[in-house]
Amino acid sequence: MHRGRLSATVVFALLAILGCAQPQRGPVQVQGAQSPQQAAQVPVIALPNRPDSLKFAVLGDFGDGSSAQFQMAAEMARVHQRFPYELVITVGDNIYGSERPQDFQRKFEVPYKPLLDAGVKFYASLGNHDSREQRFYKLFNMEGELYYSFKGPKQNVKFIALESTYLVPEQIAWLQKELEGSREDWKIPFFHHPPYSSGGRHGSHLDHREALEPLFVKYNVSVVFTGHDHIYERTKPQQGIVYFVAGSGGKLRRGNLDSTTGITAASNATDRAFVVCEIDGDELFFNAISRTGAVIDSGVITRRK
Amino acid sequence: MRRLLAVLGASVLSASACAHADGPAPPAEQKPVVQQPANEARQLTTPDATALAEFNQRVTQYAEMHKRLEATLPKLPKETTPEAINAHQRALEKLIRAERKAAKQGDLITPATRRVFRQLLARVFSGPEGRELKGTILDENPGNIGLTVNARYPDQIPLSTVPPQVLASLPKLPEDLEYRFIGERLILLDVHAHTIADFMDNAFPA
Repeated sequence: MHRGRLSATVVFALLAILGCAQPQRGPVQVQGAQSPQQAAQVPVIALPNRPDSLKFAVLGDFGDGSSAQFQMAAEMARVHQRFPYELVITVGDNIYGSERPQDFQRKFEVPYKPLLDAGVKFYASLGNHDSREQRFYKLFNMEGELYYSFKGPKQNVKFIALESTYLVPEQIAWLQKELEGSREDWKIPFFHHPPYSSGGRHGSHLDHREALEPLFVKYNVSVVFTGHDHIYERTKPQQGIVYFVAGSGGKLRRGNLDSTTGITAASNATDRAFVVCEIDGDELFFNAISRTGAVIDSGVITRRK
Repeated sequence: MRRLLAVLGASVLSASACAHADGPAPPAEQKPVVQQPANEARQLTTPDATALAEFNQRVTQYAEMHKRLEATLPKLPKETTPEAINAHQRALEKLIRAERKAAKQGDLITPATRRVFRQLLARVFSGPEGRELKGTILDENPGNIGLTVNARYPDQIPLSTVPPQVLASLPKLPEDLEYRFIGERLILLDVHAHTIADFMDNAFPA
């Protein structure tokens, strides 16, 4: 379990000094800095920030209008100044509680205004706290669909948003078709309920795992982003696939980690977090960043072929 | 996965049979019209199949009413503002409430349907994954609160997650309706209007 902290500023400075350090290649699929001490010994593989890479962020369980959400949003904006990600995928629970027009402002448009003004597009998936009609909300870019896919603006990437509170047979059939027909190198599903999670509150959703994992394995998915548990976690590869739980974008369940699951590669339940990613060719670099700007996890995932 | 696919396949059969069962109830000597949707060898009895076919008729009629009323409102664009979404939802809610003035619990999920639903759900929940499935449904589920047919789904209550295995065990619904749970009650949620079209108590096996 990783609880190390490394300032985002330091990481960016290091990368700048190293001339955007080249990733290490090797048989291990995922490498992550495990602690500040280890990070000092092992070259940090963080974000190369290359001009033609696809840069995106992942945010989950955030829309509660709290001061913590606003602080997290401010950190996201700060990171964006140095690492200009083009889009944010959300893993659900976008708006907690009532969904009046003023709630969309207070819980989304105001906190993320700097990002929205900078042209960052949000692509939402829905969680159990979200009404179905969010799919029509222009700034969530769902175009009226509960589940949908879109191609990343750079690199060869397809994002697939699922609606995991209501996985009707039609949706599973649609997912199979999307994956089967995809010619993209990267197929990145994102949705709310984690098939793998060490969150003490919810944990792994085995019913979702049973329905989705065989398709992910069959069609060479490499990485999956989820939320629901209000923690950050990156799993060890499960049947070759790395699962992220990015469910602390606004909400946090402090210390709510089950250390006995055996699936954790890195996790954090001490502060809110979001994830920034960069895809360049066959590699996906990631940093999980806390509300205070600490890099709480980082590494690179090589895509399955 | 094989088990899930089997359930999904059976469900498609069930939905298909349901969708075509719009004639009178089959005579007693005929084979049941509706295949049992769960992963059991036993088929539905004729009365159960009839109950599901009649349920299908009722929800189809509901969906037609919903579409007719929604068509009188300005079409909601695929991408719009929260104000427009809210206005559309409230307007549709008002229209449906006016149209279904006399609606009461049991209009869609009648006692006969309730009995079959309980059987179908009991089979799913009594299986090896039953505890996990029930746990998923009851996760962040508020328990028993007062429900009224045609009322707005309570804003502060998250939607229950309905696992794919449970959805596959129940008859397919028109696009405008969804199965959800509030506590141990199964509800039919009108998605666009965000209202409760009907509900049944004690959906879980005792």
